Amino acid sequence: MTIKQTNEYGKLTLALSGRLDTVTAPDLEAALDASLSGATELCFDFTDLEYISSAGLRVLLKAQKIMNTKGKMTITGVNETIMEVFDITGFADILTIE
Amino acid sequence: MVFTLILTALYNAMLAVAIYIAEKKTAFGRIEYKKKQIIIGILFGAMAAFASTKFAGVDIGDGTIMNVRDAAPLCAGLIFGAPAGIIAGIIGGLYRYISAFFGLTGTYTQLACSISTALAGFIAAALRKFMFDNKKPGWIYGLGIGMLCEIIHMLMIFFTNANDPSTAFNFVKICSLPMMLCNGFSVGAAVLVISLLGKDKDAVQFGKRHISRTFQMWLFICIVVAYVLTSTYTYMLQSQMSNTETETVIKTSIDDVNQDIHDTSDENLLNKTNLVKSDYLASSDKSEAFLQTLADKYHVAEIHIVDDNGIIVNTNAPRYLGFDMASGEQSAEFLVLLDGTHKSFAQDYRPQSYDSSAAYKYAGVTLQGGGFLQVGYDASEFRADIDSTVEKIATNRHIGENGFIVICDDEWNIVSEGTDYTGYNLASIGIRIDPEKNAENTIFSTDFNGKPHLVEYEYAEGYYIVGVIGEEEALFMRDVSVYLSSFMEVLIFAALFILVYFLIKKLIIDNLMKVNRALSKITNGNLDITVDVRANEEFASLSDDINSTVDTLKRYISEAEARIDAELEFAKQIQHSALPSVFPPYPNRKEFDIYAQMDTAKEVGGDFYDFYMLDDSTIAFLIADVSGKGIPAAMFMMKAKTIIKDLAESGLEVNDIFTQANEKLCENNDAGMFVTAWMAIVDLKTGVMSVANAGHNPPVLKRANGKFEYEKQRAGFVLAGMEGIKYRKTEIQLAPGDEIYLYTDGVTEATDKDDKLYGEDRLTYLLNSLSDTDVKSICEEVKKDIDRFVGDAPQFDDITMVSFRLNFIKGDDKLSFIPGKDAGTAVSDFAQQLTSKLDVLPKISSKVSIAIDEIASNIINYSKAKTAEISYSIEKNKLNLMFEDDGKPYNPLETEDPDITLSAEERQIGGLGIFMVKKMTESMDYKYENNKNILKLVMALNS
Repeated sequence: MTIKQTNEYGKLTLALSGRLDTVTAPDLEAALDASLSGATELCFDFTDLEYISSAGLRVLLKAQKIMNTKGKMTITGVNETIMEVFDITGFADILTIE
Repeated sequence: MVFTLILTALYNAMLAVAIYIAEKKTAFGRIEYKKKQIIIGILFGAMAAFASTKFAGVDIGDGTIMNVRDAAPLCAGLIFGAPAGIIAGIIGGLYRYISAFFGLTGTYTQLACSISTALAGFIAAALRKFMFDNKKPGWIYGLGIGMLCEIIHMLMIFFTNANDPSTAFNFVKICSLPMMLCNGFSVGAAVLVISLLGKDKDAVQFGKRHISRTFQMWLFICIVVAYVLTSTYTYMLQSQMSNTETETVIKTSIDDVNQDIHDTSDENLLNKTNLVKSDYLASSDKSEAFLQTLADKYHVAEIHIVDDNGIIVNTNAPRYLGFDMASGEQSAEFLVLLDGTHKSFAQDYRPQSYDSSAAYKYAGVTLQGGGFLQVGYDASEFRADIDSTVEKIATNRHIGENGFIVICDDEWNIVSEGTDYTGYNLASIGIRIDPEKNAENTIFSTDFNGKPHLVEYEYAEGYYIVGVIGEEEALFMRDVSVYLSSFMEVLIFAALFILVYFLIKKLIIDNLMKVNRALSKITNGNLDITVDVRANEEFASLSDDINSTVDTLKRYISEAEARIDAELEFAKQIQHSALPSVFPPYPNRKEFDIYAQMDTAKEVGGDFYDFYMLDDSTIAFLIADVSGKGIPAAMFMMKAKTIIKDLAESGLEVNDIFTQANEKLCENNDAGMFVTAWMAIVDLKTGVMSVANAGHNPPVLKRANGKFEYEKQRAGFVLAGMEGIKYRKTEIQLAPGDEIYLYTDGVTEATDKDDKLYGEDRLTYLLNSLSDTDVKSICEEVKKDIDRFVGDAPQFDDITMVSFRLNFIKGDDKLSFIPGKDAGTAVSDFAQQLTSKLDVLPKISSKVSIAIDEIASNIINYSKAKTAEISYSIEKNKLNLMFEDDGKPYNPLETEDPDITLSAEERQIGGLGIFMVKKMTESMDYKYENNKNILKLVMALNS
């Protein structure tokens, strides 16, 4: 997985590509820990993300909890597989998917 | 007599031998040097004292004993050491001096003997120290020094008795030769015996040094010639002088006696003449008969009256009447009475002018009114008158000390009184004089009392005056001076000899030795040595030349060394660049780790390692050690490495690689080099490791969760050692987590400063004590431990190590792994490999990936399993996934589903993964069998 990170005017955008699984989730968590403090808006771009496993969901949940206190978090470009995962797990209700 | 001296001489050699043996064989040898010297000094001092006694020497009268005392301190000093010599000399000298007061030894030579014995000790000490470099001299030197000391001894006797040279000379004459010979023999024999006993190579042998030998030889020849010439000249000169002196002495004595006889006879005749004159004048009768009466009265033969013309005018013997006194030589002497110069005149007894066959003694006195009266008598007449006087003339006269003078009549009967021989004929006491042969007033030799004597005689007034002196006495001064000058010459020449020897040694030999010592260090490779002999101009210049040569050599060598170093460094770089040196070499291959390192002892070594992927799932690695070091080993190593790699890449089995490599390396291997090697080919899909060993150290293998242990198999013969060798293959099944450590003998044979080997036990102990068994840290820690072990000792051999770790085994439909670090990646790779094979919709492949990820991460994170395995099979659009682990029993089907309706804040993440898998699979089946969790998933591939 690769993470492309942009940050403008308090809006942090992370474009992920590849797989967000047990192996790669810690990388995303580290990236968020490093960049999230100053952000008021967090946007995940999932256009190039193939799939997500429970390890990835854990990171998204953690980010969502943080952003609930200080701004908003959105996810864009969710594919069918990922959407199915969100649906199965009830994350579709928690996350803001655009 | 002489036997006693020789025996005593031998005692010194015996004592020397006894001390020598005691020194070698008993505790005496371990005594401190100073004490040992004192003991040896005392022993030889006692020997010197003993040699002074009459038991060890020969009494030559007056309590003086001819001896071999001086040899003892010489032996002590020359053989055992300077201090011992000095001590022995002083003890011997003191004994000699003191014992004389108690009458044990003679007093005449007391001082001379004491001094010379003490001196002998000092001479021995000085010679040993300065001439012989504190070593034993050769026996010739011993002999010479012994004799020399006796010469000094003899001179001492002269010098201390200068007021009585004749007694001194007597002693010297008797003692000098035997004492010189015996003392010389004693010292020479002692030195010789000790040299033979010790087979002493360090003794200063006569002529051992070539320069001094030549010098000594020529010096010796010159000295002998000079000695013979000067001695002969002295002898001749002294003989001549003695003869002349003796002649003078005898002649003077004889002349004295002669004069006395003349005076006596002259006085006697003049007395008579005056008496005749007064009777003649008193009488008026001037007749011939009257004159005859007077002649008879006074017992004279003739009475003549001579007128003032010198003519006999009146006589008792008419035949003379008219005889002219001027006509004969004898009679003409009387004319002095006519010219007024003499009043009386006496003439020697001799033939008269008138008749030369008749000998008379005449005297005349002048007559008043001119003319004179002459009276003559013959021998028988005047001898009767003067015999009584003459007999006493020679009394108390002697020539020199023991010579004497006698007066004989014309028949050689001794008439003079004062000798034991008065009245004897001279011939009857042994002094035969034949006037025909032995001229008057010449000196000649004849035997008297059995000894040669010098004799001279003179005829006076009918007497023979004979002077006799002993030849020995006459020549005494000559002999003394010949002896003295001989001794002095020998002494001076010995001093010269030693001086020249010493100077040559000091100026040339010692310096040459210094130069040679420095040169031998230089030729042994120490070019930092400088020769610094500045004793004289020549050696200074030689030293400078050698130093500048060595400097030049050093410069060339260091230049060459620098060039070679640079080339070797370059070779090292080539060699190292030939070996894979980037780690990790395959960052994308997670199945295994490999690390290698090589530390060469020299710039280039014979060790090498290598590894390469033979295909996507096969790795080969090897370690090898070429015999020898340096460039040849490095070149052979490159050849071996290339051949093995070529063969490996052609797909051969590991044993065949070695078998063929051996054949190729044996070709043209004239240098006789060989290689030990160990090689493995690992099938990463199955974990099977094929191994071949060509005489190399066995590897150390660690099973996952086990300990490092030697994996010893029978090794094959070394590569390039012999043609036709067939190598065997051994297969070892590796499991994930297994590690293997390879090394060359530079590791186990690393030596510390005490030459102790690092060894296999220390190696395995270290490996098992490591907490981190990462391939890199294994090699690094071993190297560090070797460095600690070796300390400052130099590294002799190359140290090369390879370590390999199998992380997981990824087969075509199976992944074996250890749940732990990097396991997630392995699983992710395996999942990707599976999905890419499936050729299904991305949605389906994502689900497969998610399922594998979720179950595997559960095993990895929570099961505490030691090994785990994922396998799959496909049948009728169904994918069967099977997960096995040996962790704690866990049935995912019994997990409660999470509440998915909760808000973000309320949601728990646990159980979500299993829930997702449940939703994505058609069926899940769990069982716990053989201590293993076995989970089977079935996923549809077509929906």
